[in-house]
Amino acid sequence: MSLNSFKRALWLYHINTGSCNGCDIEILAALTPRYDVERFGIVLVGSPRHADVLLVTGPVSRQMAPRLKRVYEQVPDPKVVLQVGSCGMEGGVFYESYNLVGPVDQIIPVDVYVLGCPPRPEAIIEGVVKAWVKLEKAAEQRIAK
Amino acid sequence: MAALEFGLDFWNPIVWVIVFLVLIAGAYLLRSRGQKKYKKGTAQTQIFLSGEEPPPVEQRHIKAHNIYWGFLQALKGYYDPTVKAHTGIINDYMIWFTAIVTATAVILFIVG
Repeated sequence: MSLNSFKRALWLYHINTGSCNGCDIEILAALTPRYDVERFGIVLVGSPRHADVLLVTGPVSRQMAPRLKRVYEQVPDPKVVLQVGSCGMEGGVFYESYNLVGPVDQIIPVDVYVLGCPPRPEAIIEGVVKAWVKLEKAAEQRIAK
Repeated sequence: MAALEFGLDFWNPIVWVIVFLVLIAGAYLLRSRGQKKYKKGTAQTQIFLSGEEPPPVEQRHIKAHNIYWGFLQALKGYYDPTVKAHTGIINDYMIWFTAIVTATAVILFIVG
């Protein structure tokens, strides 16, 4: 698929909603020289207002739920949510915790899931590529309108 | 041209205005390339505070005290005792005044 509608680098905002940091370390690994996703224009940014993709790790603790929702609402359209790690999908090692209100897709709509505890950087990069394709389709729809 | 010469340096208001206009044009160019399709009146226009709810506008100011935090921290050894000494009670100030006047008088008496 040619990426023509979305003529920019892909900017991601990463939010940790109670993760053990395993997934966060793998995300960092994807940025290190071995994988170096920044050469493709895939960059982590410091504000959701600059982002195209919201990258969520963690199972969503009670404290983080309203913050996750607020951050999601602050990402400009078109936006895609990429959820990384098993615990954001079904609780993972935290599934019995009294303090969980997740999974992520009960709080905000999720477009791409990357499973694993933690997932390898290759899996995260594949998820980012899928998110990029979804964003491309969303951008095309906006142009068609 | 109304330029002031200072040897190697000069000050010309017209040059200053031109530089200012160039900077304004640059800022306008950057702003015009920004995202235009954001939804007004939604969270997309709110300030980002790490997911926290932004406080009301009237509470969004930085107190002058915060600006001097590093200064106060660096001179903590001086400020801690002096702030404690400023109790706001006039009797304390009179004791300080009497003590310092007495000490000064004694020193002057000894030195001659």
